Amino acid sequence: MPDEAASFSRPGTLENLPAFIDFVGEACRRAGADPSSCLALRLAVEEVCVNLMRHGYAGREPGPIEMDVRAEPRRLVVTITDFAPPFFPESAPAPDLSSGWKERPLGGLGWHLVKTAVDQVRYESGASTGNRLTLVKNIEPKHKEEPHGNHGPRIGLGDDRRDPRKH
Amino acid sequence: MEITVLESGSATIVAIRGSIDGLTAGALSDALAEQVRNGRSRIVADFGAVEYISSAGLRALLGALKDARHQGGDLRLAAIRADVQRVLDLSGFTSILKSYLDADAAVGSFGA
Repeated sequence: MPDEAASFSRPGTLENLPAFIDFVGEACRRAGADPSSCLALRLAVEEVCVNLMRHGYAGREPGPIEMDVRAEPRRLVVTITDFAPPFFPESAPAPDLSSGWKERPLGGLGWHLVKTAVDQVRYESGASTGNRLTLVKNIEPKHKEEPHGNHGPRIGLGDDRRDPRKH
Repeated sequence: MEITVLESGSATIVAIRGSIDGLTAGALSDALAEQVRNGRSRIVADFGAVEYISSAGLRALLGALKDARHQGGDLRLAAIRADVQRVLDLSGFTSILKSYLDADAAVGSFGA
């Protein structure tokens, strides 16, 4: 099957979030991805978009969010381009997931979930070309037979095969 | 997202249907805060029909949990689906939130 690509662009405002989610969901379904992988990719895309809408474009005229989804064999590649001030995901502090409820801050989980939900994250910024975030999600075809029996439901998030450093 | 509120003895069941995301989490926060404000801080969030949650939803849950516990109550979850449970696990929420197989068990956990 040849690779398929689709593009979508809207202003980076919260009311456009469902349109971005629908766009990625449709690409997932067309690619025949399993539901858990689709949910994981939806989570990563939402976290990136909401971060841009609430923070990246905060205090300025909202610029566009451009989204490309390319279906490759057994994986989906989502590229998100924005024109907000550069933000480097690796600079986001890792959340303390073991603190008690009183100490636990509200928020700070978005980038943690992005990195956990997908298999690769790449970020490039350029003054003229904007900032480009690439998310790669390995997908499993629906109704795949388990070669070694049923190991229970597959959850697409936080798959042990993930290696965020592998490009 | 749809929210249905049902009183069950000393507890309140807040049944949620749909996705708790960046657009809908605010409505969930409001609904939970209203219960605490009205003195009903023993809250069961029935997640049986919740198909998706993002960090915005987690923020709503944590805010409500803090409010409820500060008032002597608690926010407890019921009937969490596998994919939503995975997000809670990855976010370290399993260690601070109590969850139960169904809403009846969660209500019962509060005692009389």
